[in-house]
Amino acid sequence: MTPEQILALPSMPAASPSYPMGPYRFINREFMVVTYETDRELLRQAVPEPLEPNAEGLVLYEWIRMPDSSGFGDYTESGVVIPCVLAGEAVNYTAQMYLDDEPPISAGREIWGFPKKYAHPKLEVCSDTLTGTLHYAGQLVAMGTMAYKHRVAPGGVEAQATAMARTSCNLKIIPDVDGSPKICQLVGYNLKDITVKGVWLSPARLQLVPHVNAPAADLPIKRIVGGRHFISDLTLPHGRVLFDYIKDRGGRTQ
Amino acid sequence: MNKSEVLALPSMPLQSPTYPHGPYRFFRRQYMVISYTTDAVAIREALPVPLEPAGDTVSVQWLDLPDGEGFGAYSATAQIIPCTFKGEPCNFVSQMYVDATPPLAGGREIWGYPMKFGEARLAVDSDTLTGTLEYATERIATGTMVYKHDAFRTDYSHEHELLMRTQVTLKLIPDIDGTPAIAQLVAVKFSDVAIKGAWSGRARLELIPAVNCPLADLPVHKVTGGLHMVTDMTLPYGKVLHDYLAK
Repeated sequence: MTPEQILALPSMPAASPSYPMGPYRFINREFMVVTYETDRELLRQAVPEPLEPNAEGLVLYEWIRMPDSSGFGDYTESGVVIPCVLAGEAVNYTAQMYLDDEPPISAGREIWGFPKKYAHPKLEVCSDTLTGTLHYAGQLVAMGTMAYKHRVAPGGVEAQATAMARTSCNLKIIPDVDGSPKICQLVGYNLKDITVKGVWLSPARLQLVPHVNAPAADLPIKRIVGGRHFISDLTLPHGRVLFDYIKDRGGRTQ
Repeated sequence: MNKSEVLALPSMPLQSPTYPHGPYRFFRRQYMVISYTTDAVAIREALPVPLEPAGDTVSVQWLDLPDGEGFGAYSATAQIIPCTFKGEPCNFVSQMYVDATPPLAGGREIWGYPMKFGEARLAVDSDTLTGTLEYATERIATGTMVYKHDAFRTDYSHEHELLMRTQVTLKLIPDIDGTPAIAQLVAVKFSDVAIKGAWSGRARLELIPAVNCPLADLPVHKVTGGLHMVTDMTLPYGKVLHDYLAK
């Protein structure tokens, strides 16, 4: 294998790259998002500077079913998103993500810094209930339940598509081979070519169980705000650096 | 979290880093190594330049890792291609499959170990040391070896030499715009290796073609033997052997 072939590889291993080059297209991506209010001081600690957490103390706990994802296959994800402000712009910071498929774990961490770990999330309609569960290392750590399609969200699919185009951001950390930080950045991206096929608001409940390696419960639930269920096609493109911690400290970046 | 705390994090996510800082000590790390001859042209294609092939024998290994500091208990299967770098004998780790995130993410992100999620198992079943690998629900590899047929050997110098040989990985990490941010050959050398036992004997190996777990791309021509080892060892940080992005 020549240096030119190596530099054209999208990912490790050279023998069968985990993920191809982006962007990545998702069809029929289904979300259940339970919004809740948490402790503002704990929220502050969970968010890296220079991001500022939202003033209302809100957290989004999500399940996402992805049956048809280019390059990644068929998988399910669950995790914690914190609405934040960066230099006056409203952004969504992804704090924790758990999924059951290696290519999106590796691509997520290595390209965009999605904080992904391997676990067993599930999102399904059980009788009258849209039900999300998350098992980590054999234990149930999250269960969300939502009434099924009680009412269409105000603004409908157009308002939902606009909301989904908001900038999302992650803290990307990749060590160097000597253990020092090689990449340490806040990274931003925007979903595009978003087609929302339906969006519903319904009552919801959420249970988070304390677990050291899947610590969603570190942001405790004070009050459930509500549940949002939507289905869309969308494209996940590459992104951009919003803030570089190594450069900020005066260090050399790669 | 303030900026200097962010820079001190060992890994993502901020609230529960996937792996701590190294080095990493392993206890009762058990290997079954099955060596076989394969196609020399396929070896050349699988080895990144400037690594050079060293013969036509490669191996598929099973590892049972019941006690890995920072990583927990897990199992792995790997394909190893002996080679040379500027004349020094090395082992190129071409494929690796594990069933836990900390070694998967830490392996890829620190050293560039080419890890994917696969369900490896190494166990003694009746009279047979048995390794299996399932990827995406299908059985891809089955290795079997006789159990401790040479039970009274005390000289482990050959095994020690094998374990101390430099491992080489191809570390590839993209930048946020999709261009390569890291493209390096990385060298890793185990330290503080203690061999608790080592046994060699007859072995067989079957590899089934699968696109996302392509061990069979180096086809089995002839199995040359099996090696079973139990060790304690430390996995330290590595060093860059070759940087493909260097100007």
